[in-house]
Amino acid sequence: MEHTTLAHHLILAGLVFVAGLTGVILRRNLLVTYMCLELMLAAATLALVAFSRFNRTMDGAVLVFFVITVAAAEVAVGLALIVALYRRTGSVSSDTLNTLRD
Amino acid sequence: MDVSLLHWILLLPLGAAALCGLILRRAGAAAAIVSIGSALAGSVLALRFLGTLAPGQVVSWNLELGRLGETVLNVGYHVDGRSALMLFIVTFVGAWIHLFSWGYMRDDGARGRYFAGLSLFMFSILGIVLANGLVMTFVFWELVGFCSYMLIAHYFDKDFAAAASKKAFIANRVGDLGFILGIAGCLSAYGTTDFAALQAAVAAKPAPALLGFLLLGAFIGKSAQFPLHVWLTDAMAGPTPVSALIHAATMVAAGVFLMARIFFLINNEAVLQFCLWSGAGMAALAGLCALAQTDIKKSLAYSTLAHLGIMGAALGLGHPELALLHMAMHACFKATLFLGAGSVIHGCHHEQDMLRMGGLARKMPVTFAAFLVATLSNCAVPFLAGWYSKDAILEAAHAHGAGVFALLAVAALATCLYSGRMIRLVFLGAPRGEAAEHAHESPWTMLLPLAVLGLGYSVIAGTYLGFPAASVAALPAPMHFHLGAASIVGLGSLALGFLGALWFYGRSQGDALRDAAPGLYRALERRWMDELYELYLTKVQQPAAEIIAFLDLALVNGLAGKVIGAGIPALLGAASRRLFHTGSIRATAAWFAIGAALIAALLLGIL
Repeated sequence: MEHTTLAHHLILAGLVFVAGLTGVILRRNLLVTYMCLELMLAAATLALVAFSRFNRTMDGAVLVFFVITVAAAEVAVGLALIVALYRRTGSVSSDTLNTLRD
Repeated sequence: MDVSLLHWILLLPLGAAALCGLILRRAGAAAAIVSIGSALAGSVLALRFLGTLAPGQVVSWNLELGRLGETVLNVGYHVDGRSALMLFIVTFVGAWIHLFSWGYMRDDGARGRYFAGLSLFMFSILGIVLANGLVMTFVFWELVGFCSYMLIAHYFDKDFAAAASKKAFIANRVGDLGFILGIAGCLSAYGTTDFAALQAAVAAKPAPALLGFLLLGAFIGKSAQFPLHVWLTDAMAGPTPVSALIHAATMVAAGVFLMARIFFLINNEAVLQFCLWSGAGMAALAGLCALAQTDIKKSLAYSTLAHLGIMGAALGLGHPELALLHMAMHACFKATLFLGAGSVIHGCHHEQDMLRMGGLARKMPVTFAAFLVATLSNCAVPFLAGWYSKDAILEAAHAHGAGVFALLAVAALATCLYSGRMIRLVFLGAPRGEAAEHAHESPWTMLLPLAVLGLGYSVIAGTYLGFPAASVAALPAPMHFHLGAASIVGLGSLALGFLGALWFYGRSQGDALRDAAPGLYRALERRWMDELYELYLTKVQQPAAEIIAFLDLALVNGLAGKVIGAGIPALLGAASRRLFHTGSIRATAAWFAIGAALIAALLLGIL
């Protein structure tokens, strides 16, 4: 695969990102929304790693480690929130979460 | 001369106030000890300072706070014999009032707050006495206003106390508007607000009448001159020692002191004429109004109004030193009268109605003795404190003209009348109420201040016996008794008024004047100025405010809102409510994505 270039990687990252964004916008289930968010994060890290690889610096790769660490912590908090939400309202649909509007 | 002594005098009460207010709020007895201790120490230091001051010497100290363009802001001291004497009177009378509070406020739940307020009050008035310029005076002036507000509202859970404190504060605010405009006027006319520099500048270029009137506004508010006198009689809602402090040593004294200090600024024919006639008129009227009060403290408050009128008249006659002298003499006998009234109220289990008292002379002999001496001093019996200043002012009025003299003669007569009435109703005759029958003499902490201020001070103060040389040089020479128009009026009103009142009020169980001439009594009892203010507020100011509010709603909100702004903001508002603020997370995410895409497009130069 000598012909893979930075552009290929970036296009793939972009596609994954758009897939994630579409999911966030369209899906109602909070768990799926959450997974789509992670997908967007993964797309961003993919772009970072690609830059790191093609620019021959470690900066992007190091940043990715931080992103993964923070994302792990975030998952813990986010999932706990979703569980708590389910216990309280009996639903994980994002459309029911509009009490702040009024 | 040691300036650090002045620092101590000024900062001791501040320290006590901070300690009481911040740390000892819940520890009433400790707060009382700290506050009383600081007041006593302050009076000793002030006496020491006064004793070491040479006649004509001025102690000054200055600290430059900052510059605003060309204007230098200074704080500092400028103390001559006159201010040193004032310093001593304030701390001396104040200290005894502090001690009196120990007994009077014994059962009060908020003693920490009370004593913090008392100490802060002392600090504020001392700042005014020491100040070397109008700006520093103004700062402490406002502090005095705040402290009076706090102390009058000590029983803030009572509606009338809360209302009275508000009234005092607002009336003072009206006067202070004149003061602050006057300071601005001084700055623009002379470029300085320091007393010494101002005096030199005014000597070269006399102050205009407008400036004098503006600064007189400060006096009218703080010293309760007509037409802002209405707050003083309501200020009775506070604890009795606070009334004594306000009436004798601090608040009303501040106005007289300031006017004497900046007399060169108000020394203008029109200003003095106004001051003279409003003062003399108020002296006569307030004295008569005191006859129609059944509350012992209210009656005394009208008496203070009458004396303030006399001081205003003395200023108007062009004798600030006489006004100051009368203020000093009034301070000691009025403090005694109020403390005596406090002792009576305390002894009668918080009964304030004079018609339900009577026969207290036998039950409270020390209080009676002090009250009687102070009353006689109030009536200007020769060789008691009040006589020296009041007869001197009467003489000055006699030299000025018949009109003013007649008004002040009425005031003198009225003073003797209400004094005799008070003695007769409260201390003589038979008890007319439950409380008076079970009255008891007060504890020694309340009697000692009465004895010192009343028996001691009222008797010797007027002769200037034992006054240090510096203060004597600042005062007019002590009077010697001689038969003139003033002394004839004084003695005549004393015989006619005091003895007449003693006889007249013995005739009836209730108020003899009310029984004999109910129409006159009601006319005196009515609060004409309050009714006038109420009329103005409800009939003029409130409708005007409502019209303006209507115009604001109709023109600004209605017309401008509907015609000009109706299109865009309303549309945007509706759109934002429909499109953006849907409450849906997904919509928010979509708009976020669109926004991010737009920004990215802008950055890339696509759009």
